[in-house]
Amino acid sequence: MTISGWEQLLFVAAVTVVAAPLLGRYLAATFRGGKAPGDRVFLPVERLVYRTLGVDPESSWTWRSYALAVLAFGLVSTLLLYAILRLQGVLPGNPTHAPGMPPLLSFNTAVSFITGTNWQAYEGETQASNLADTVGLVVAQFTAGGVGIAVALAVVRGIAGKSRTIGNFWSDLTRSLVRVLVPLSIIGALVMVSQGAVQNLSGFRTAATLAGGTQKIPGGLVASMEAIKLLGTNGGSYYGVGGAHPFENPTPFTNMFDLLFVIVLPFAILFMFGRLIGRPRQGYALVAVMAIIFVAHTMVSMQAEHHGNHLLPASVSQVASGVSPGGNMEGKETRFGPEGSALMTVGTMGTTAGATDSALDSYTPVGGTGAFAGILLGEISPGGDGGGLYSILVLALLAVFVAGLMVGRTPEFLGKKIRAPQMKLVVTYVLVIPVTVLVFGGISLVISVGTSSILNPGFHGLSEVTYAYASVANNNGSAFAGLAANTTWYNVTLGLSMLIGRFAPIVLSLAVAGSLAGARVHARTRATLDTAGPTFAAFLLGVIVIVGGLIYFPMLILGPIGERIVG
Amino acid sequence: MRAALFGRHLVASLIMLAVVTVALGFGYPLVVTGLSQLFFHRQANGSLVYRSGKLVGSELLGQEFLDTRGNPLPQYFQPRPSAAGAGYDGSSSGATNLGPSNPLLIGFVAGVNTVGLDGQPSAVNPFATRADPACVPVDPKGVPVTSPAPGQKYARAADGSYVCDPNTIPERAIAYRAFNGLPAGAPVPADAVTASGSGLDPDISVQNALDQAPRVARARRLPVQQVIALIHRYTQGREWGFLGEPAVNVLELNLALDGQS
Repeated sequence: MTISGWEQLLFVAAVTVVAAPLLGRYLAATFRGGKAPGDRVFLPVERLVYRTLGVDPESSWTWRSYALAVLAFGLVSTLLLYAILRLQGVLPGNPTHAPGMPPLLSFNTAVSFITGTNWQAYEGETQASNLADTVGLVVAQFTAGGVGIAVALAVVRGIAGKSRTIGNFWSDLTRSLVRVLVPLSIIGALVMVSQGAVQNLSGFRTAATLAGGTQKIPGGLVASMEAIKLLGTNGGSYYGVGGAHPFENPTPFTNMFDLLFVIVLPFAILFMFGRLIGRPRQGYALVAVMAIIFVAHTMVSMQAEHHGNHLLPASVSQVASGVSPGGNMEGKETRFGPEGSALMTVGTMGTTAGATDSALDSYTPVGGTGAFAGILLGEISPGGDGGGLYSILVLALLAVFVAGLMVGRTPEFLGKKIRAPQMKLVVTYVLVIPVTVLVFGGISLVISVGTSSILNPGFHGLSEVTYAYASVANNNGSAFAGLAANTTWYNVTLGLSMLIGRFAPIVLSLAVAGSLAGARVHARTRATLDTAGPTFAAFLLGVIVIVGGLIYFPMLILGPIGERIVG
Repeated sequence: MRAALFGRHLVASLIMLAVVTVALGFGYPLVVTGLSQLFFHRQANGSLVYRSGKLVGSELLGQEFLDTRGNPLPQYFQPRPSAAGAGYDGSSSGATNLGPSNPLLIGFVAGVNTVGLDGQPSAVNPFATRADPACVPVDPKGVPVTSPAPGQKYARAADGSYVCDPNTIPERAIAYRAFNGLPAGAPVPADAVTASGSGLDPDISVQNALDQAPRVARARRLPVQQVIALIHRYTQGREWGFLGEPAVNVLELNLALDGQS
């Protein structure tokens, strides 16, 4: 890595270390109940929402009721978005004359945005209208982020609280939208516009170029979508190439701002967790595990992309200097360079955003493995909004149980005993996504409708397919974009993978929380395993790496590792 | 009981969805658009560039500098190769998405992806030409051939050697050297022969601009030093000293050149 690469990484780390605890403190004050900052502005808005909905925000529900509400909201949202996408051709707000999407593409896209995956099988510039983007997709991006935070709050109440109920979905969702996602998105969008991101209501403008030709200059409500795409850990862009597009991500500053806009909130939610349960150290321990994974897989990719593609002729200079970015520049923008690109793109792979500023398909095998690793380790570095928290809590329960078996103690987490019912749910949680990825990915590699979509030959082609399922099942949504995924087979199976990958973990983690809600809290003794210390953090890290490695190593051997060894 | 509960949740969901669609689908983007147009009018509308009142492009989007037959104009600095549509198409941003070992990107590299005349793996590249040992041949229609079928026909040059796919990195490097008058085997900056992530990259590296300067100066009958001085004037250093990479905006540089001669 170059000095400026290190500086950019340190910059991201430093801003996160300062901003995430502050935001975490605000979140804890907001979601603790009782008086909260900004009540004078936010409370009247919230009361209006509750009155319109006819719900009592103070009522608290069982986990089953909470899960049913999440599913009901997901179902209704998906249907509405599906309708908008089918009908966008005849609806207003369509300056680029995008026709209605076909049924399977609409299904895939609707599921994709409701689940926060933001896999984009459609072409942003030509296949989505302004109305579909802002009224359909952007609303879904807000609610996907809000649902994630709400579920995380419910899980925390179940795992750590004394009550048998775990909260109220409508109030959790409303508060996360009104007090967190909307105000931060407005600020973020304005910062992006000030740097050059586009925000207007026009379609294409035609310029007469210097050489005597013409160029279509796109417009659109780009920055407002970009902000919630990142803040809500969604990842779906206005334009097809996402953060590589100069109208979305115009400068090296916005490149780092975008990355921070993704990762600070999930980290802050972990700090919030520590405060809400009254044990800040527990929050720090989980943050440390996430941060180590984040830095590790991001640095691997930065180094690999800086090093460049060793298969190019020696006379193509990939040496970085003050006058040339060098490195593997295929699919990367000059202003970001290989390291800035890898930092932003691979940095968001450990979240469910999967926002990219460069073409992942053209990454070197090792660089691509860094992106794979962020996804395959379960998106906990730092994960999605809320999703990062409930994922790592489930993994922490697994680690506690394994540790308990090793030393012969009853496993306890936050004073509650972890028994067979919880472990059954935890193991199901850990297995459901890998099974989805490997089964669908495996089938796609042996049937012609699966293999005919592959762009690149050999090992790399296998990576394109397996990456697609790993990405969508983890609700990441980034792609080795060479894969032609707008086909019947891929639209259906990737859509199903997204549904499983979103709602199975939500229901299972709520069930774990429900089974622990109201359980007796045992006093800490000398025999209690300390789950907030460095020993447990290291142990948890080991469990995460070993579980992820055992499941996915064969797949990585056949993909990027094979490509690197043979090349 | 549970069905009734689910029904109540469905009703609440519908109302909630109506509320957020109005507030976030219409209200939020309009608020952001209004504030953006008010405070950042130029940026929000695409940082458009006008010359004598006519729209010539956007500061943030690269554009082509080709003659009517598609050949690069020597008097203009040339941008990077582009995979957006037919090249710098603002309605079709895109990358090549070619993998790092794909012959369409890197050519046939012996021992990695070379195939024989029969399409089976081969230890050497049977299509190699004197200029390009990594040559990927094309069929008579100009389509690159990466796995030949029996009886495959190839395009041949006048001397009988294979015609190579011009879009591989080795071929682009050869063309770049020829166009800019660089000696055979001279180092070519990576950004000059690779396509960007958006296909609309407005920038090239400083080295890429410096390598093009003598050609541009010749075509415009300007002293090279004057062109190089312009490059340095239009070089944007790393933001805040460490963010991103130094880069030269091709449209701004070419506009400045047009203003000088």
